[in-house]
Amino acid sequence: MIQLFHVYKTFGSKNSALIDVSLRVRKGEFVFITGPSGAGKTTLLKIVFCAEKATSGQALVDGRNLNRVSERELALLRRRIGVVFQDFKLLPRRTVFENVALALEIAGLPLSVIRKKVHQTLRYLGLANKEGYYPPQLSGGEQQRVALGRAIINNPLILLADEPTGNLDPDLTMEIMALLREIHVKGTTVVVATHSQELLRDTRRRIVSLSKGRIV
Amino acid sequence: MKITFLRYSIRQAMANIFNNRLVHLIGVGTMAIAFLIFDAFILIFVNLSYWTEERGRLLSMSVYFKEEPDRIVLEDVQRELLGFPGVTIKRFISKDDAMEDLRRQLGDEAGLLDGLKENPLPASLEITFSRDKGGDSIPHQLKRRLERINIVDEVQYSQEWIERFQAIMEALKIVGIVVGGLLFLAALFIITNTIKLTIYSRKDEIEILKLVGATNRFVKIPFLIEGSIQGFLGGSLALILLFVAYMIVVARVDLRIGFASLDFVFLPPECIVLLLVMSSIAGLIGSTISLGRFFRI
Ligand SMILES: Nc1ncnc2c1ncn2[C@@H]1O[C@H](COP(=O)(O)OP(=O)(O)OP(=O)(O)O)[C@@H](O)[C@H]1O
Ligand SMILES: [Mg+2]
Repeated sequence: MIQLFHVYKTFGSKNSALIDVSLRVRKGEFVFITGPSGAGKTTLLKIVFCAEKATSGQALVDGRNLNRVSERELALLRRRIGVVFQDFKLLPRRTVFENVALALEIAGLPLSVIRKKVHQTLRYLGLANKEGYYPPQLSGGEQQRVALGRAIINNPLILLADEPTGNLDPDLTMEIMALLREIHVKGTTVVVATHSQELLRDTRRRIVSLSKGRIV
Repeated sequence: MKITFLRYSIRQAMANIFNNRLVHLIGVGTMAIAFLIFDAFILIFVNLSYWTEERGRLLSMSVYFKEEPDRIVLEDVQRELLGFPGVTIKRFISKDDAMEDLRRQLGDEAGLLDGLKENPLPASLEITFSRDKGGDSIPHQLKRRLERINIVDEVQYSQEWIERFQAIMEALKIVGIVVGGLLFLAALFIITNTIKLTIYSRKDEIEILKLVGATNRFVKIPFLIEGSIQGFLGGSLALILLFVAYMIVVARVDLRIGFASLDFVFLPPECIVLLLVMSSIAGLIGSTISLGRFFRI
């Protein structure tokens, strides 16, 4: 599903965020990417949904070479990748409802279907009573759940979650992890980036460790 | 284009205008000023063309008599005149009438005329000649025919007048196209930059839309609708301002050029519609250009 071959990512002339990273994530896998702050976790995810282009090396997602996709192919590919950004990237001027509806709106679904699915998702995430709020009016944890809602609403092929529990208390963390498991069970390939050792303590899932841009 | 998408785009455009109403208000105001200059030019151009055409079309001729004609002679001459297509007889001016006119024109200085022993002014017949109904050679023919009549001294009209008006008309057209085009480009430049500001202020939003899989079209179309609406509003405001200015000018200033008073008209309805369409298109072009620059970055 995701294949990276000798990927390098350098910012400027000497700031190497990723060094010779090769990685293969199979369809239906659940993978943790871990490592200290600045290790390159976010950069790695960015390469996968093509927010950054690899300086060298190849990246294939769902069989497509990211060095050679057209604008339109990339848009279509991104619709099948749900992303929970570390900084959420919610639209501050749109309501919770509109933010979550965005992915469906982009997919061109009819309004009645959009309404139904958004209500369902918001209920599922415990945000039913926040639907008319704007992101700046929400707590960090609530914003995080809105971001998750937007990422999963379209039943994506791949879910990339960057520190999805970073702002949550232990109870909510457990809930979100349960949610991710549920999405995984439904067939989505899940990649979670986190520096939280707690999250990894008693998981039997595959863990990819990054350190200073290299896989260790 | 799907109906859902169109509805989404219009809703987003409206929401954007509402959410950024201050920026938009400033933008619309800026555009209105740019359009106002353009519209004012069009208004002046329309009136100039209208006046020039009017003057050029109706040619005045004066038939001067050697002496005061009696009724029979006058009727003969008039009959002769009416034989020509397009000729209208305005009035007969007797020697006394001519003197009267002159006194009126001199006003306070009319006393100068008191010293005259006899009236030196000739009697004349004023006619107009519509050039719609005849070619250029007709005034010339008419002049020759009339001057053969014994009692007629001279027939005056200005051939130069006609030629000058035609030349002015041509020049006016060229100047109109060049100046109008330049003003429109200037307006477009201002509009493009105004819209660019609103787009730059939403750079993050565009980036996020793209990251969650929006195509360029999906991102752009609400902006294009927004730009067109902005252009339309700016254009409307400009026309309203122009109309107010027009009313003030018409109320205050008595427009007289030479001795003919001229009507100063407002833009005809089809011209107003055209200008509004042009403003909207300018908004559309402006947002296309600014988006183009943006998406290349
Ligand atoms: N846009 C950028 N420009 C320059 N340097 C960057 C950029 N993005 C990331 N970097 C650098 O790349 C390195 C890896 O950053 P990255 O965000 O991938 O770390 P991370 O593992 O996600 O850290 P954290 O756990 O704090 O989120 C850092 O040294 C960072 O300074
Ligand atoms: Mg990070």
